[in-house]
Amino acid sequence: MSVPRSFSALVVALALLARSTSAQEPVTTPRTADGHVDVNGIWGAAALPPPVNPNDSIKFLFPVPGVHPESKDVFHGFDNRQVEARAAAPNKPEYKAEHLERVKYLSDRQGVLDPAFHCRPQGVPRMGPPSQIVQTPGQVVFLYGASNLFRVIPTDGRPHRADADPSYMGDSVGRFDGNTLIVDVTNFIEDTWLGSDGYFHSENLHVVERFTRNGDTLTYAVTVEDPSVFARPWVIAPRDLKLSKNPADALVEAPPCIEQDSGHIMTLDHH
Amino acid sequence: MKKRLIAALALLVTVLSVRAWAHHSFAAEYDINKPVTLKGTVTKVDWINPHVYLHLDVKDAAGKVTAWALTTYSPASLRRIGATRANFGQGQAVTVLAYHAKDGSNLAFLRRMTFADGHTVELWIGDENAKAP
Repeated sequence: MSVPRSFSALVVALALLARSTSAQEPVTTPRTADGHVDVNGIWGAAALPPPVNPNDSIKFLFPVPGVHPESKDVFHGFDNRQVEARAAAPNKPEYKAEHLERVKYLSDRQGVLDPAFHCRPQGVPRMGPPSQIVQTPGQVVFLYGASNLFRVIPTDGRPHRADADPSYMGDSVGRFDGNTLIVDVTNFIEDTWLGSDGYFHSENLHVVERFTRNGDTLTYAVTVEDPSVFARPWVIAPRDLKLSKNPADALVEAPPCIEQDSGHIMTLDHH
Repeated sequence: MKKRLIAALALLVTVLSVRAWAHHSFAAEYDINKPVTLKGTVTKVDWINPHVYLHLDVKDAAGKVTAWALTTYSPASLRRIGATRANFGQGQAVTVLAYHAKDGSNLAFLRRMTFADGHTVELWIGDENAKAP
């Protein structure tokens, strides 16, 4: 009896030792054949529930704490939830004093003036990280599954293009530094906002995106500069994106964006 | 069975980590004080961003047909709760509770659809644990 007991104690001790050792070992971060960090994959996707049978009932209440479903405040509660979430964000762009009035003017009219409300591309960095990255020698391709948009980004050391018109997602060049892909973006069209609260920018917008892979986590960090309108660079809180491991996962075509509401907007309620 | 499992696996990915499209305020467009009940046939489920639209033909007692448009959440937010286009009854007779557009047009924000067999689809807002008004 005592032999098996001490044997099992030894097994447990060894297992604990192995676990503590592996916890301290650096996680493996894969590399591509050309030696760069491998950023290929679908990143940050969330698992979806199975579709509800068409003959089954569905009940969903968008959660607005403290507002009863029969309350007359549901629409305002829904709007305020979004506004409050943005207000609580850890860091926001800081504008030069002379531009604050314009930010407020635009923000107050967000429900009609926000370019993204009219189905224009949100642009970089408001559109967030790509859903999928396809990496080949000399370039990476970013795919945005929610909007059917893409970016083709050279990583062969070439400079920014001099012949391109300004655009929603700008002109990008990338380079690798250890476990990080750094993307430098310039030449933006002035039509995008950086967020829903009237965060306009000038043509001098300059965005640097950093994608750092650590094991199966990709950390997306963004710095936004616009010396014409910002008091200082805006450093967006980094986000961790998990690699999708299910071989069945694939991006699918997003429904088109067809705006039909603007003719029916009657008040300037902010969302 | 196997085919169904594969189909379920293939649908496991959503790509929305941020909102792909900006939304306007619901309060700016719809009147919470003007609930409407409509009986009609769903002529089209328009599965588009930023909001899904249902088109409903409503026939009055004299047989006159009026077309209504009903809006709800985005395709991605519906998919996140398991709702797909197939849950919105294209071609079926339904009774709908919705909230009328403030501009008086035949447009409303969908709250609840009741189908002929009695099952319902309710997509609404709020907290049932909060104090009832």
